[in-house]
Amino acid sequence: MKKTLQTIIHGPWAYWIGAIILGLLNILVLIVRRQPWGVTWNIEIWAEWIGTNLGVLSDRGFTFEGLMAASGTYLNLGLLLGAFWATLVASQVRFRPIRDKKFFFSALIGGLLMGYGARIAYGCNVGALLNGIASSSLTGWIFAFAVFLGTWLGSKLLLKYLM
Amino acid sequence: MSINSAFHSQRKWNIGFILFLTLLLLLLSQISIRLTLITALGISLGFVLQKSRFCLVSALRDPILIGMTQLTRAFLLLLGISILGFALVSWGASQSNIPLSLNIFPMGVHTVVGGLLFGIGMVLAGGCSTGIIIRIGEGFAMQMLAFFGLAVGSVLGERSLKSWRYTFGEWPGIFLPDIFGWVPTLILELIVLLTLWQLARWWQKKQLGE
Repeated sequence: MKKTLQTIIHGPWAYWIGAIILGLLNILVLIVRRQPWGVTWNIEIWAEWIGTNLGVLSDRGFTFEGLMAASGTYLNLGLLLGAFWATLVASQVRFRPIRDKKFFFSALIGGLLMGYGARIAYGCNVGALLNGIASSSLTGWIFAFAVFLGTWLGSKLLLKYLM
Repeated sequence: MSINSAFHSQRKWNIGFILFLTLLLLLLSQISIRLTLITALGISLGFVLQKSRFCLVSALRDPILIGMTQLTRAFLLLLGISILGFALVSWGASQSNIPLSLNIFPMGVHTVVGGLLFGIGMVLAGGCSTGIIIRIGEGFAMQMLAFFGLAVGSVLGERSLKSWRYTFGEWPGIFLPDIFGWVPTLILELIVLLTLWQLARWWQKKQLGE
C-alpha cells in the first residue's frame, strides 16, 4: 500500500496507465470544449500578439482580451502548471541547465522547424496527429506517417551530430 | 542528501502550490465555469504526461534508436481509446443537436512537408510542442529555448501557409465515415492500430531478442 502511494507520487507510472488516463482526459476536453485538444495554434496567436506589440509583426487583430478568453490559453497554462506540480509532489523541482553548447543550437533549430511544420500542417502531435486520427480524418493519418519519417531523419541527424 | 530528505524538502512548497492552484481555480470559476473545467483538465493532462513520461518523440524515435516499443504501443492504445471516444461523443452530440467540431483539416503537399519538418524538429528539440511545455515545467533550460524557437517558427509557418497553398494547391480534408460509414471506419482503424501494435511487438523482439 505504501509502495503504491510512493509510485503514484514519485512515478514513473506505467505507460499503459498513462495511455488510458490521457485517453479519457482527451475525450473530456472534447466534451467540455466542443473541439479537440490542441497546443500550437494558441502558442502562435500569443506570439502574434507579442510580436505586434513589439512592433515587429503586422497586426492580425489578436487582442489581449481575446487571448484571455481562448480556451487554448487555459489548456496550455494547465499543462505547464500540471507538469510543474507533478515534479513538485515528488520534490524534484530544480533548474536544469543546458549541458552542452550544441544542445543550445539543436533546441533553437528544432523549435523553429517544429513551429513552422506545425503551422503549415494545421497542428502538432496533439491537434493534427492524435486528434486528427481520433477524428477519423485522413489528413491525420497522412500527417502521422510524415512525422514518423521526419523522426527517422531527425534520429539520423541526432546520431551523427549530437551523440 | 538522501532521497527521503529530498522528498521532505519541497513539501512546504507543494502545500503552497496546491493552495495557489485551488485559489486560481476558485477565482476562474467566478468568471467562467467552462474555462475552470478546461484549466483543471489541462492541469490533469500535464500531471499525467509528466508522471507517465508519455512523450511522442520517444514513442516514434525509440523503436529506431534503441528498438524499444513499449511507449509506441501505449500510444497506439491512446489512439484507439480516443478514436472510439470521439466517435461516441460526436454521435451523442449529433443526437442532441449540440455543435461539435472535429479536426478534419485540409490536406496538401504542406501536410507532408509540415509533418517531416515537425518530426525532425521534435527530435532535435527533445520534445514535441506538448513535451516542450512539460519539460519547461520540469525546469529544463533547453526546452525553454526550444519554446522560443517554436513560437517564432509557428508565426513564420502561419505566414507562409498561403504561398504553400498557392503553389501546390490544397484539397478538402476527408472525413473517413463519410466514405465508408461509421462502423466500417472504426473497424478499419482498429485493425490498422492492432496491426501496428503487432508490428511494434515483433520489432522489439527482433531488435532486443526477448
